[in-house]
Amino acid sequence: MSTEQARSARTEGEPLLSVENLRTSFYTDKEVIRAVDGISFDIFRGETVGIVGESGSGKSVTARSIMRLVEKPGRIENGRIMYDGEDLLDKSAKQMRSIRGGSIAMVFQDPLTSLNPVYTVGNQIKEALRLHRGLSGSAATKEAIELLEAVGIPDAHRRVREYPHQFSGGMRQRAVIAMALACDPELLICDEPTTALDVTIQAQILELLEELQEERDLGIMFITHDMGVIAEIADRVNVMYAGEIVESAPVVELFESPKHPYTQGLLNSIPGQGLDEDEQLATIEGDVPTPNEDPTYCRFAPRCPKAFTECDTIHPEPVEVGDGTGRHRASCLLYPDDLPTEEAVAVHREGGQRGGDTR
Amino acid sequence: MSTTTETEIPLRQRVAENPQPALIWAAVGAVLVGVELGAILQVVGAVAGVVVNLLPGDPGASAVQSLQAAFDAIPTLVSRDVIPNQGYWNGTSYQNTFLGLSPAVAWAIRVVFVYAYAFAVLAWAWNGYNRFRRHYRRVDWTPRDDVVNRFRNHSWGKFGLIIVITFVVMAVFAPALGPTTMERNILQPYDYEVSYWSEDTQSVETVLVGEANIGSGSQGAGDENVAPLTYDDFGRFHPFGTATNGKDLFTQVVFGARISLTIAVVAMGIAGLIGLGLAMITAYYKGLADLATVLVSDSIQALPVIMVLILMLVIFQNTWVRELYDGAVLIILIFSIVYWPFIWRSIRGPALQVSEEDWIDAAKSFGQTPTQVMRKHMAPYVFSYMLIYASLSLGGIIISVAGLSYLGLGITAPTPEWGRLIANGQQYVASPSWHISLLPGLLITLVVTGLNAFGDGIRDAIDPQADTGDEAAATGGGA
Repeated sequence: MSTEQARSARTEGEPLLSVENLRTSFYTDKEVIRAVDGISFDIFRGETVGIVGESGSGKSVTARSIMRLVEKPGRIENGRIMYDGEDLLDKSAKQMRSIRGGSIAMVFQDPLTSLNPVYTVGNQIKEALRLHRGLSGSAATKEAIELLEAVGIPDAHRRVREYPHQFSGGMRQRAVIAMALACDPELLICDEPTTALDVTIQAQILELLEELQEERDLGIMFITHDMGVIAEIADRVNVMYAGEIVESAPVVELFESPKHPYTQGLLNSIPGQGLDEDEQLATIEGDVPTPNEDPTYCRFAPRCPKAFTECDTIHPEPVEVGDGTGRHRASCLLYPDDLPTEEAVAVHREGGQRGGDTR
Repeated sequence: MSTTTETEIPLRQRVAENPQPALIWAAVGAVLVGVELGAILQVVGAVAGVVVNLLPGDPGASAVQSLQAAFDAIPTLVSRDVIPNQGYWNGTSYQNTFLGLSPAVAWAIRVVFVYAYAFAVLAWAWNGYNRFRRHYRRVDWTPRDDVVNRFRNHSWGKFGLIIVITFVVMAVFAPALGPTTMERNILQPYDYEVSYWSEDTQSVETVLVGEANIGSGSQGAGDENVAPLTYDDFGRFHPFGTATNGKDLFTQVVFGARISLTIAVVAMGIAGLIGLGLAMITAYYKGLADLATVLVSDSIQALPVIMVLILMLVIFQNTWVRELYDGAVLIILIFSIVYWPFIWRSIRGPALQVSEEDWIDAAKSFGQTPTQVMRKHMAPYVFSYMLIYASLSLGGIIISVAGLSYLGLGITAPTPEWGRLIANGQQYVASPSWHISLLPGLLITLVVTGLNAFGDGIRDAIDPQADTGDEAAATGGGA
């Protein structure tokens, strides 16, 4: 059985994490910003789900919502986050603490700042070990060394008692990953773990994550704005725009036939696609809007080259756009493209009336 | 030694592998502790006595008493018994003094001994840190090393440190430093006698200490004055002269140092704990907790400190709280309540700043509890700021206490207090008895300057970027 088949077999079963209709809003004096607005996706064991989007599209808030680490004035308003058959949003603070690190771990963007500079790297890994596995003293040190070795840090015996500043950027990110793995989580949330690293180190970290995934059957949620990284690591990709998932597809399919105009725009704006000398690289004009009201229109419409009148009045719902297996979905009034535009728009109009808040 | 073993062995084993430096250090330590064992045990006995006193029914009171007696009998190096200075001239030689020397010389030797011992202990502790650093520490560098090195290059800070040490030693060794004892000279002068050589009768006579005090007060006039470094009519040596009532000024000064230091340190400690605790909570939870603390602290800060102190001391006049330690306990409580907002305010910014660091999020993301996050990942960053602020504010408290006592509101008799001594001698400033006001006043100035210099040194050592000459803190709440 090839890995591809193994993955599709896995995706048949129960998902490890299932986010349903999640909405997280930030209450500022001026407005309510729906940083994450009704997104749904699943992560299966041993699978890497990529979340890609521009700055401000709600990627990190999604990750924080799953960890229940959204800080004031943010609030998770709606939806369910099912993990292991239970809704994480119903957990008490104490239960949540044992899930954080124990079952779901997180790797942050900047390895320079996500380690406390006054404790040795070993000390910080041991902190996690003590918390979830009750290890202390030399047993914990031994385990910390093994973890550092597992993430490919040479001479781990010596490095375990070094301070973060004595590590290079890539080494530090490895150490952070070791810390996240300390308590054998089933799901690893990586919030732009390679953004702060240079390209060669990026490749190494991605390789490391893939190896660890093979070994430990980890589910990985990988957040990035870098399409190249996504192509490298993800099995499935969710494209986020202004707090919503606009397209969701297996990685190969997404790159081969992007359906949503936004995804198409993103892919077209990757440099180095064999442009002619006098041709300019395509860009998406404008910025991500601040999603501060009910979604009654397509949030991408103002920047969309294919927008038409209905785009301003009807909110697109995710519809099947692939080979019929339901794995490729896009939220755009142009789809389903086998129907004439009016009928397609009608599909979205009806779909929009069904959804309601569960919370 | 291979790197493998190096990482895993605990400190005990690292010491066992190379025991010599540690052994030498421990041996010197044992000698230093050994010569003062009696004094240490006496403190233990005194504490045990207090504890027994507090327990209902006083269980084992007699056992504690016999224990205290046994401890008192142990000779210690730095004590009045070893180097006595309270002797008398019998016409041909000094009796009952150290090696038959004059009381002044015997006293001076004892003072030198006390300071030599204190500095030896400090040198030993510093040496211990260096030995640990050189021989046993796992890592060859920690952030603390830089702090220590920066402080070592800070002359102003070192000057402050020396003043502070001198002051602290004065307070700690007060009973051994005075030429006479509190009990004998100040508290119960009519229960003790003093022998002296009478020029009139050409013989040794005895008189009650209280009566001798009356005859040796410093009240300005030429024959009614005992100046610093002189003997009075009863052959008693007074390094700082006498107060108006004839009691030894130096003894009062050293015990006054004790109470000033106790009040300043305990009050600042309590205020610091409250401030630090609240800073952690407000920075971690923000929102309502923060707002409530801002309101409370602003309300407290809106009150003029010295007014509150005077008001509270007047309100609590004649209550049991006022009686505890001659008012010191009440003053400590008031200072803690009045000072925590200042501390909290000064560390709120750094606390909020550190609470936004990624490693706080990282700690939360692996399930660390809020208290542990505050204690392990936030408090260490804020603690140094608090230390700076507290050390700069200590001087302010010392001045305030002296000011209150000067006004007759602070520490009441019989516990000596520098401010009261100044008030006591105020009338005689322009007379030959100028020493009564001037010497305690100079000491206050010196100690407060030293504390501020020390605080500056710590600040520059801990946070070299901070270059805010915070003069307001230096005089904070000063009278």
